[in-house]
Amino acid sequence: MTEPATAAAPAPAADTGARAIFEADGIVKRFGGIQAVDGATMSVGEASITALIGPNGAGKTTFFNLITGFYRPDGGRAVFAGREVQGRPPYMIARLGMVRTFQITKALSAMPVIDNMMLAAPNQPGERLRNVIFRPAASIRREREVREQALELLEVFNLAKLADQYAGTLSGGQRKLLELARALMTRPRFLLLDEPMAGINPTLGRRLLDHMQRLRAEDGVTFLFIEHDMEVVMNHADRVIVMAEGKVIADGEPHEVRADERVIDAYLGGAKVTPPGADGEGASE
Amino acid sequence: MSDPLSAFHLAVSFSAFTDIDFWTSVGILAGTYAIFATGLQMNVGFTGIFNFGQVGFMAIGAYSMAILTAEHGVNFWLSLPISILIAIGFGLIIGLPSLRLRADYFAIATIAAAEAIRLVALNARDLTNGPQGIFGFDNSWNSVSDSIEEFIVDLGWTDVPSLFPLFLVTWVVAIVLIVGFSRIQRTPWGRVLRAIREDEDAARALGKNAFSYKLQSLAFAATTGALAGFVLALNLKFVVPDEFQPLVTFIGYVVLLLGGLANYWGVVVGSVILWTVLEGMRFVELPLSETKIAALRFMILGVVLIGLMAFRPQGAFGKREEMVLGD
Repeated sequence: MTEPATAAAPAPAADTGARAIFEADGIVKRFGGIQAVDGATMSVGEASITALIGPNGAGKTTFFNLITGFYRPDGGRAVFAGREVQGRPPYMIARLGMVRTFQITKALSAMPVIDNMMLAAPNQPGERLRNVIFRPAASIRREREVREQALELLEVFNLAKLADQYAGTLSGGQRKLLELARALMTRPRFLLLDEPMAGINPTLGRRLLDHMQRLRAEDGVTFLFIEHDMEVVMNHADRVIVMAEGKVIADGEPHEVRADERVIDAYLGGAKVTPPGADGEGASE
Repeated sequence: MSDPLSAFHLAVSFSAFTDIDFWTSVGILAGTYAIFATGLQMNVGFTGIFNFGQVGFMAIGAYSMAILTAEHGVNFWLSLPISILIAIGFGLIIGLPSLRLRADYFAIATIAAAEAIRLVALNARDLTNGPQGIFGFDNSWNSVSDSIEEFIVDLGWTDVPSLFPLFLVTWVVAIVLIVGFSRIQRTPWGRVLRAIREDEDAARALGKNAFSYKLQSLAFAATTGALAGFVLALNLKFVVPDEFQPLVTFIGYVVLLLGGLANYWGVVVGSVILWTVLEGMRFVELPLSETKIAALRFMILGVVLIGLMAFRPQGAFGKREEMVLGD
């Protein structure tokens, strides 16, 4: 806070105060000749709500894909809760408690909403063929528990009435909420949300943000979310990480990052202009 | 003029419709394809993997059973589970490299694998006796078949068709499979399959090992393929490569489309409709040569399929929502 934001070359977890739950160190991904992610380094404090921002093409979504196993990084390390996760398959990373959502929602359209939710629950013995045949009772018992949790969570997101509808009949915003609720069914420790607010109306968006705050406060869930809505980022994130051209260029509290010249440059294509909104708090430098 | 029925007789030889021997054979065919397509239904309707090599598993099942029994003197009943395991083994060998491919490439890889199996059967004469095929594997079955026949005769039905016991066993197997598959589909395991059908990445992001489930689904298909192969072999009393043309898989898909995707009972309906129409048309007498009538049967089938796609794409039992909602 006392430290000027301009000095915010990625200093891992130096001033988050909290212990880092996730650290990425020099993550690299090349697609042919293009360096999509070029040595991204960051750390995310436990139980923080961290925003990942940056201009289009900065490599934010690619970075998500790299740390959640959907792409294999060409270099670098990613450590979640003391375990290296780079190169592991997505399902293993998800089972560790590091769960993501997608920018383009992946509602399982031809399945009812409730099935979408129940699918996500961990520790369902009935997902193994062996148990289906030899321990059907354990599976049924767990199903009952899971259904209750699912309905509770759907209630929070205003989707309880739609539980038996096919997910494909939901509106875009409802699908977004369903995807978040479904991710929460996995009981994650670390949630990575790719543009969770895009396409949902402000009222529901606020509900979603409130719920994030509550989960962080009550269960210590950590959030890393990609977002373009600066109002949301500035008001709701404790910490903002900025990416541009595949690198992390700034990392700090919202007001620090907002005043950072490199961030302004990145967003405005390197032109040396002072945006009118930025000089309020940024003037302190 | 004198007989009012003669006009009708001209169009349809009615007596043939009551020919119980004939319909027993048709019933066996329909049952064979119901078994065959049950695994296909799990792959295509519930997992979203387009297995176009189902006939390969049928060939592996039939050949393994025939070779083990006729050439190596293995007990017939023991050869059945062994052959199923061999078919599953082939399923894993085919699936391990090819299930990582995109859906359309997987379809191509499986059709090629099934053709490779048929061509090996045709050419590996030492193992499969080439185009002459294998005989003499069904002694144990024949004695069981005879006792079933005797049992039915004792019940009072004296002119039992000789294939009736096979018809019974085929349909018992088909019904047991369909009840079993329907039940397993309603478990959390089956739910994961459906999630993979909808969106594999979403399933993986929620901690599901999609690849493993797709392999398991393929193993189930291999099992029903092998079972259908046993019935086919017992029905024909020999195993020849020519019975395992890719056409068999395509007919399996026709059964799926007629009955509807994502419903195991649809497979029964589809198979019965298909074979009743195809074979029943033999008795519609038209002023055409026999080869033309044979071709006409498939033309009519084609028209029925086009009509079905246009007016009822979900088939007899499928859920329309599940077809329309796929993103």
